[in-house]
Amino acid sequence: MQDKIIVTENLVKRYPVGDGQFTALSNINLTFEKGEFSGVIGPSGSGKTTLLNIIGSLDSPTEGVVNVMGHNISTLTHKEAAQLRNMHIGFIFQVYNLLPVYTVFENVEFALILQKRNATERKKEVMQALEWVGLENMANKKPSKLSGGEGQRVAIARAMVKRPQLVLADEPTANLDAKNAHSILQTMKKLNQELNTTFLFSTHDQKVMEYLNRLITLEDGKVASDILKVGNGSPTEEKNAQIKTAQ
Amino acid sequence: MIKFIFKAILRDKNRSILPVMVVAIGVFLTIALSGYLTGMLGDIVDQTARFQTGHVKVMSRAYAQNIDQLPNDLALLGIDKVHQELENDFPDYTWVNRINFGGIIDAPGSNDKSKGQGPAMGMAIELFSESSGEVGRLNLTNSLIDGKVPEKSGEVLIGYEFAKKLKVKVGDELTYMGNTMNGSMTFAKFIVSGTVRFGVASMDKGTIIIDFTDAQQILDMANGAGEILGFYKDEVFIQEQTEQMCDVFNAKYAQDPDEFAPIMKALGEQNSMGTYLNLVNSVSSMFVIVFIMVMSVVLWNTGLIGGLRRYQEFGIRLGLGEAKGHIYKTMIYEAVIIGTIGSIIGTALGIGVTLLMQKYGIDISGMMKDATMMMPTMLKSKFSLHLLYIGFIPGLFAMVIGNMLSGIGIYKRETATLFKELEV
Repeated sequence: MQDKIIVTENLVKRYPVGDGQFTALSNINLTFEKGEFSGVIGPSGSGKTTLLNIIGSLDSPTEGVVNVMGHNISTLTHKEAAQLRNMHIGFIFQVYNLLPVYTVFENVEFALILQKRNATERKKEVMQALEWVGLENMANKKPSKLSGGEGQRVAIARAMVKRPQLVLADEPTANLDAKNAHSILQTMKKLNQELNTTFLFSTHDQKVMEYLNRLITLEDGKVASDILKVGNGSPTEEKNAQIKTAQ
Repeated sequence: MIKFIFKAILRDKNRSILPVMVVAIGVFLTIALSGYLTGMLGDIVDQTARFQTGHVKVMSRAYAQNIDQLPNDLALLGIDKVHQELENDFPDYTWVNRINFGGIIDAPGSNDKSKGQGPAMGMAIELFSESSGEVGRLNLTNSLIDGKVPEKSGEVLIGYEFAKKLKVKVGDELTYMGNTMNGSMTFAKFIVSGTVRFGVASMDKGTIIIDFTDAQQILDMANGAGEILGFYKDEVFIQEQTEQMCDVFNAKYAQDPDEFAPIMKALGEQNSMGTYLNLVNSVSSMFVIVFIMVMSVVLWNTGLIGGLRRYQEFGIRLGLGEAKGHIYKTMIYEAVIIGTIGSIIGTALGIGVTLLMQKYGIDISGMMKDATMMMPTMLKSKFSLHLLYIGFIPGLFAMVIGNMLSGIGIYKRETATLFKELEV
């Protein structure tokens, strides 16, 4: 973990509400390094999703600087932001959000089509991604024929197929049972270790927290704590947690 | 990407079937109604040309000024010379002589009593000249109810309703009473060679047709004709061409002070046909404009509903790194594909129905029984090449415009808001 992949400096995000303004994020200063397996936790309305949206270049800060892989989010045009997501960021959603008219293969392939990769390369990469998540035999199935766990695996394959440097996962286990949640988390952890991909979660699921190396707690839009664990983050090895930063 | 869009269109019935149906129905209606309008309005123009005006008409100036009275006393004389000139100057046209005349027809019965009598509207045409094409032009052979077209001098063809009224049949004798071009009384006997259904109620009830030379003799119009009609050899009326011809012909006689000098008038300048032709063009244009507007609104709404349903998809695509502009562009590609498919289906159906209507038509003779207007009794559509694009292009444009309007919603929504739709 050497390169700084995300740096936020004095990040503030406000939304207009009626005549006034609501502050969703206040003075956030965080740094994430390549290969981290981190999570933002906190109650609903604490600003987790807003933070992830800004890091994912879907939204922009009201004040402060957010630098993602050398790109200042505030100064990116729509097209540049899309390009950043296309090439370097993968998203995993709470409800999988697969495109229902396409097969599993095509859902995963879509990310590579946007990168204008050729058909042979796409096929190879998609099958590789499906192998990572153990769904290589389900390539031709439609999302409606998949279980919840399988759907989320496809979503992981779709996020990982372009081998992004950063994966943003918003409540990825919220709709899964414990067995599937653990299985999904183990898959992501494995990919984090094998491909050195940075994962940033937004969650309030205890099961996810057990796997994370770093836990950032948001309360009312502010960082309440930032805890770095020692070990690889799997539940069995979690120990000796120590506070790295607290604001 | 196009292949990907195609797959989605084929698999997502909500995305394809409804818009394709809307476009196809709209295009079909445009073509079918336009073909019907063209056919119906064109029939009236065509009918008027064949029976009354020609594509152009040459008369004496004095005759032209009083044309409503069919004044044979002002007829054109020395027509051999005029014909020669017309055939030399305008060889693409067929020139035929006509005399329209009025009179009384008496059908003699037994014991010197009449079986029937009535006023008649007479048409003298070149029945015995094959090159004139008049028998075919007025569709006389096919319109015969009984008997045959006159083959020799002294024979007359009579409207079948008129024959009923006079109680005459083929082979019976008729007496014509009228006046010559010089104003003296004239009588002539004719043998009914056939009865005919003109398809024009007013003519069926009171028209007789005799040969042109018979009329010249009876009406004392040697080397004269009321009118010389010109028909383009393809029998297709081309308004601009006829107007140019009239200008050229009339310029030659512009300095001639003779009130009986010939003058040429185009179809559009006669019987208020100019207004009618302009109306036909305006109605067709209005029809297309209204169609585009209505279809755009319908497809805009269809697009909006489809767009709302697809916010989730747009959110996913944004997350995957697709730019808003690219999503918008793919929506337009989809619209082009769907619009093209719908327009092809609609055009095929529309042209199919137009061709059927052109062949079989709708018989409205029952409704026209008592009509005195010169109206065709068979309503038919007419296929023309412009039907191939009159629905197709608006169908495609309406779909694209509808999607463009509904797609603007993507730009108006913040990326994060679209993305947030994913949580719904």
